[in-house]
Amino acid sequence: MKTAIILALMTLSLQSNAAGDATHGKKIAYTCTGCHGIPFYQNVNPQYHVPKLGGQNEAYIIAALKAYRDGERNHTTMQAQTSNLSDQDMADMAAYFATNNK
Amino acid sequence: MRRLLLKSLLLLSLLAFSTIGFTGDAALGKAKAEQVCVTCHGLDGMGIDATYPKLAGQYADYLEQALSDYRSGARKNAIMAGFAATLTDEDIANVSAYYSTLKEHRLTDLSKK
Repeated sequence: MKTAIILALMTLSLQSNAAGDATHGKKIAYTCTGCHGIPFYQNVNPQYHVPKLGGQNEAYIIAALKAYRDGERNHTTMQAQTSNLSDQDMADMAAYFATNNK
Repeated sequence: MRRLLLKSLLLLSLLAFSTIGFTGDAALGKAKAEQVCVTCHGLDGMGIDATYPKLAGQYADYLEQALSDYRSGARKNAIMAGFAATLTDEDIANVSAYYSTLKEHRLTDLSKK
């Protein structure tokens, strides 16, 4: 019984630390491609190209998305886009971006 | 008429030039990257840790924006603030040009596939 509980707990903790699900990430990242999927797409005021994300490091993407959501990094559009994302959503998107550079 | 055309052409090219602004020198940027950026981002722009962004093939003007924002404090990161503070505008343009030109393992725009 004790073993079963421990096993169940381990499984649970494994799930909560689960790596990102790229398939789900792709689904929820559709709006991202509206800017990040268009080559040479420009950010306005200030003007610069929106960054390429295909092949970017997962952990960096997660940190960037959290910084926008939590208000540590300023960008009106990105703050709005991230406001409703859970940590798991972010991990899933990051997994998708990391593999999207073939 | 021809003079007018020439004049407008000149004006247009000036305008185009001014919006591009200072274009970095990738060779000078590499030399600067060897002193400043290499320890964490590598000369290949791949980074030594997954929490550091890859830089290879990134848009130069985005990198310039990021470095300027770190330097001004608009974007907050204790490590990057320290390094960006040592860079001039010219250094920023140059290192950004350097990393943007790297082809190996370069970043791409997202594809919808």
